[in-house]
Amino acid sequence: MSNLRKVLVIDDEAVIRDSCRRILASDGCEVVTAADGEEGLEAIKGDPQGLAVVLLDLKMPGMSGMQVLEAAGKFNPALLIVVITGYATVDSAVEAMKKGAYDFIAKPFTPDQLCLVVNRALEKRQLELEAEELRAEAARSLRDVATEKSKVRTIINSMSYGIVVTDREGRIVLTNPAASRMLRIESKACLEKPLSEAVGDAKLMEAVQGVVSPKKPEVTTISQEFQIGDSFIRAHTAAVKSDEAEVLGTVTVLEDMTYLLELDRMKGNFIAMVSHELRSPISAIGQNINLILDGVAGDTTEKQRHLLMRAKKRSKGLLDLIADLLEISKMEAGVTMQCKEPLQVEEVVRTVVELMEGEARTKGISLATELHHSLPPVLGDRDNLERVFTNVLSNAIKYTPAGGKVVIEVCSDGDYVKTVVKDTGIGISQEDLPRIFDKFSRIKSEKTRGIVGTGLGLFIAKGIVEAHLGSISVESEEGKGTSVTVLLPQKTG
Amino acid sequence: MAKKILIVDDDPDLVEAVSTILESKGYTVAAAYGGVEGLKKAKAEHPDLIVLDVMMPDKDGYAVCKELKADKKYRSIPILLLTAVVSNIPTTKYTHQMGKDTEADDYMDKPVEPGELVKRIEVLISK
Repeated sequence: MSNLRKVLVIDDEAVIRDSCRRILASDGCEVVTAADGEEGLEAIKGDPQGLAVVLLDLKMPGMSGMQVLEAAGKFNPALLIVVITGYATVDSAVEAMKKGAYDFIAKPFTPDQLCLVVNRALEKRQLELEAEELRAEAARSLRDVATEKSKVRTIINSMSYGIVVTDREGRIVLTNPAASRMLRIESKACLEKPLSEAVGDAKLMEAVQGVVSPKKPEVTTISQEFQIGDSFIRAHTAAVKSDEAEVLGTVTVLEDMTYLLELDRMKGNFIAMVSHELRSPISAIGQNINLILDGVAGDTTEKQRHLLMRAKKRSKGLLDLIADLLEISKMEAGVTMQCKEPLQVEEVVRTVVELMEGEARTKGISLATELHHSLPPVLGDRDNLERVFTNVLSNAIKYTPAGGKVVIEVCSDGDYVKTVVKDTGIGISQEDLPRIFDKFSRIKSEKTRGIVGTGLGLFIAKGIVEAHLGSISVESEEGKGTSVTVLLPQKTG
Repeated sequence: MAKKILIVDDDPDLVEAVSTILESKGYTVAAAYGGVEGLKKAKAEHPDLIVLDVMMPDKDGYAVCKELKADKKYRSIPILLLTAVVSNIPTTKYTHQMGKDTEADDYMDKPVEPGELVKRIEVLISK
C-alpha cells in the first residue's frame, strides 16, 4: 500500500521541491512534484485515489495556491492539503484553512517540522480510509441481511406449494401467493386476521388447533384433504416450536391435488375406454358363437359344435386376459388397496369356494374345506383377497385332472392366518417353479395344452398378498400335485 | 299378445344376437342403441322387460336403470343388466354396486348363454 503515503509537492521553487522530496522520501513517502498551480492541479486530477497529501505553496506565479486549493477542494473534498506559506502570516493561513486546507506550515521549516505535519496528515488520511472501509463493511453486511431475508421470502413466494403460517392463536402471520391462490384469499388483507375469518375452512381450523394443543402428544403433523371451489387441496399442518419445545404457531403446507385427480380421472377414462373397446367386440364374437352353439341359428354338426366350443373357450380366455390386465393396471397404480377392513379369511375363502363349486363339479373334482373357527381377523380388502383365492383355487381346479381332489385349509400360524390350497394335479416341474409368479408365466407342456389361462393369475395374487404385507409360496411335485400357501398378517391392536 | 322386450346396447351385433334369441322364443323385440335412446324408448313403448347393457358411451346402464326405477310409471318394468364383468372376478364389488347404485332386477355377464337368458327373462316377466 505504498500509495497510502503518496505526497504531491506543488511549489515554484525547485529548492523547496527537492528538499521536500528528499526529506519525505527518507521518511518512507512516495513523492511527486509540480512546479506551478496548473501542473499541480493536473496531478491532483490525474490521480484522485492515490494521492494522500498535497503540500501546496500559496504564493506562486500564474495560478495562485488559493486558486489551486479551491479547485482541488471542488474536485476532491477529501483530499488533505497542507499549505506552505512564505509570509508566516496567520491571515493567509487562516484564509487557506477556511477554504478547506487541512493544515499549514510556515517557511522556512525544518525537516522535522515537515515530517511532523505530513505524517499527521497521512495518519488522518489513514484513519479516514479505515473508517470508510468500516462503514462500507457495515453497509455491506446490512445489505446481506436484507438480501437474505428477501431471498427466503422470494423462495417462499416462488414455491408451488402453498404456505400458511399462523401464530399460537391461529392468526395468519404469513402466506405465499400459492396459498392465496389455493385458498382464494387476498394475502395482504388476511395478515393478522384469524384463520377462521380469512379462510373459514373448518377442517383447516381443526388441524391448526389440533397441532397447537394436541389431544395426543405424539401428534405432530395433521394431513388432510379438502375442497375449495372446484379445487382439491391436501394440507399438512405442523406446529412451529421453539428450542424449548414451546409451540409458537403453526405452518401448513398446501398442495393442489386437482391436477393429480384430473390425471387419475383421465387414466380411469383410458382404462374404461380400452376395456370397452376390447371387451365389446370379443363379447359380440362370443355372443354369436353362443347363438350358433345353442341352435338358435339352425342345426349344427357335432364337428362344427366342437370347433365352436374351442372358439368360445378362446374368446372367453381373451376376456379373462382383459380383466387381468385391467386389474394389474389398477394394482400398479396403487388404487386397489383403498378399503382395508378387518376380515375373517375363512369367510372370504368360503365365499370363493361357493363360487367355484360348480366349476369343480363340472370337471369331476372334489372340493373340500378345512376352515378353522374363531381365527383372528386380518386387515384386508375383501375384493382383492377374494381375487387372490379365486386365482389360486381356479389354478388348482384347472390343473387337476378329473377325479382329483382340491383341499383348502385356513388356520392360524403364529402372527399369521395361513391358507393352504392343495391339489392332486399335474404339478409343476422344478425348472418351472421359480418362474411361477412372473407376469405371463404359463407352463407349456402336453398336459397343459388344452387349458386356457392368462398367465397373470399368480402374478396378481402375489401383488395383492404383498400389498397386504403377507407372502405367497408354492410347493409342487410333478405328477403328484401342488400346494399354494398364503400367509396374511393378523390384524394388530 | 306376445310380450315386448326392449334391448338397449350400443353394440349392434349384440342387439342382433339377443334379438335373435328372444324372437326365436316368440317375444316381440324393440331395440335402442344407446342409453339416451333406450330411456326414450322405454318410456314411449313401455315394454314388459328391458335388457340393458351397463357400459354405453352416452349414458350408462346404471344411470338408465336409476332413472326408470325412480319413476313411478316405469318402476314396475323388470330390468336385466348385461355386464362385461368376467365371471371369475370376485363378485362382491359388483354386487355392492348393484345394491347401492341400481335397483336392477337381475344381471348377467356378457356374452350370455342363450338358454340361461331365456330362463331368467321368463322368471322376471312372470313375477
